[in-house]
Amino acid sequence: MNMSPTDLSTVRRPIDQANGLSNAHYIDPGVFAEERQAVLFNNWPGLATASDVPEIGDAVPLTFLGMPLLVVRDRSGQVRVFQNTCRHRGMILVDAPRKIDGAIRCPYHSWCYSTEGRLVSTPHVGGPGQNTHAGIDRALLGLVEIRSHVWMDVIWINISGTAQPFEQANADLIARWAEFDKPLYHGGADSRFQLTVNCNWKLAVENYCESYHLPWVHPGLNSYSRLEDHYHIENAGHFSGQGTMVYRQLKGEDGKSFPDFADLSDKWDTAAEYVTAYPNVLLGVHRDHSFAIILVPEGPEKTTENVHLYYAAPATDPELRARNTDQWKQVFEEDIFVVEGMQRGRHGVQFDGGRFSPAMDGPTHMFHDWVASQLEAHRAAS
Amino acid sequence: MSDLNDRLLAAHHADDKAALVSLYTRAAAAADGPDAAGFYLTHAYVFALELGHPDAPALRAELIAQGRETPL
Repeated sequence: MNMSPTDLSTVRRPIDQANGLSNAHYIDPGVFAEERQAVLFNNWPGLATASDVPEIGDAVPLTFLGMPLLVVRDRSGQVRVFQNTCRHRGMILVDAPRKIDGAIRCPYHSWCYSTEGRLVSTPHVGGPGQNTHAGIDRALLGLVEIRSHVWMDVIWINISGTAQPFEQANADLIARWAEFDKPLYHGGADSRFQLTVNCNWKLAVENYCESYHLPWVHPGLNSYSRLEDHYHIENAGHFSGQGTMVYRQLKGEDGKSFPDFADLSDKWDTAAEYVTAYPNVLLGVHRDHSFAIILVPEGPEKTTENVHLYYAAPATDPELRARNTDQWKQVFEEDIFVVEGMQRGRHGVQFDGGRFSPAMDGPTHMFHDWVASQLEAHRAAS
Repeated sequence: MSDLNDRLLAAHHADDKAALVSLYTRAAAAADGPDAAGFYLTHAYVFALELGHPDAPALRAELIAQGRETPL
């Protein structure tokens, strides 16, 4: 384990002089733990989607960076995220997805919580058959709720509780894509898939941010969407990515395509944009569908990618939907050898973080610079 | 009570919570003293609460009346 802080100074230089984050940021458990707090817990990572809990009472337990969390749709329909830990003896409350019909009952001593997190019953806490005790103030012992916010169907969480409100932290991206701020309909079971990749989560971000690799890694895309059709998207401190000016809709044999989102401006006739909302959510928007990829860091060298596709209408052609899912799955699978190859490359002890193309790697360097800034702020406060 | 006990164990084994609400309510009614009754009534209430069972409010009200619980 690396016990001394990594050098971030070379990362923070202008792109034409900068090096990338050093190997330790991809392979060292100590740096992984540091980034867990500085980059992920202190900001607004994506955790899951609201579509994972579509109905009132739906509860899904998740482990995020080692933390046991519980996503619940409460009685009023609001999505909430709790620490999945009983306030009594610290027992895990819910160990598999299920419907909460009434209350969340701890399986150990049966303390019960409402879906809003309120502690509502403490059986025998004052002795057999006596369910109250002066020393147990239920008002102070509700489930620990994690700050959360739903946007683009993604459930974003701030575990530290110290980040700016989500709408402020992401104001520029929300404004940029205001035209897509309308109901998104998850395509359902055929429109979600999971990829497990042997790489640090940041490599998936870095690869997603830039179009430089497209002609080499995705020659199928390059046949109609050439490198020169792309542009950088850069908003320092918040998001970066790339856009294309030649998006082509998928069409069925009958020539029909997915319905468009309503009232889009002309730009979106042929534009599509792909952005990483820092730290870990890869988003894509098109005139007729969007997607979200939530990167779940499983360890320094392993990441799960949860992919969800959305449409402008609740009912879309299932065959076309399946083709769209397959098309994106192929693209994302084409990236696996790259991110896993970069991961293996970071065991080369002489690797210095690498240099960036000043012309082509701006969005990727912007992400590195932001990660470094978060680490510097965390170190300064520690 | 032995038959009731057997049925309670079977309901626990089957994780049949609706049956547990009913059987613990009966156990409370058949209990020898107020403390035993309160014990069983608490169990009936907890499983009713978990289920969102229609008897849950009345069971809580009974526990409150007996000084064993507080209002929500």
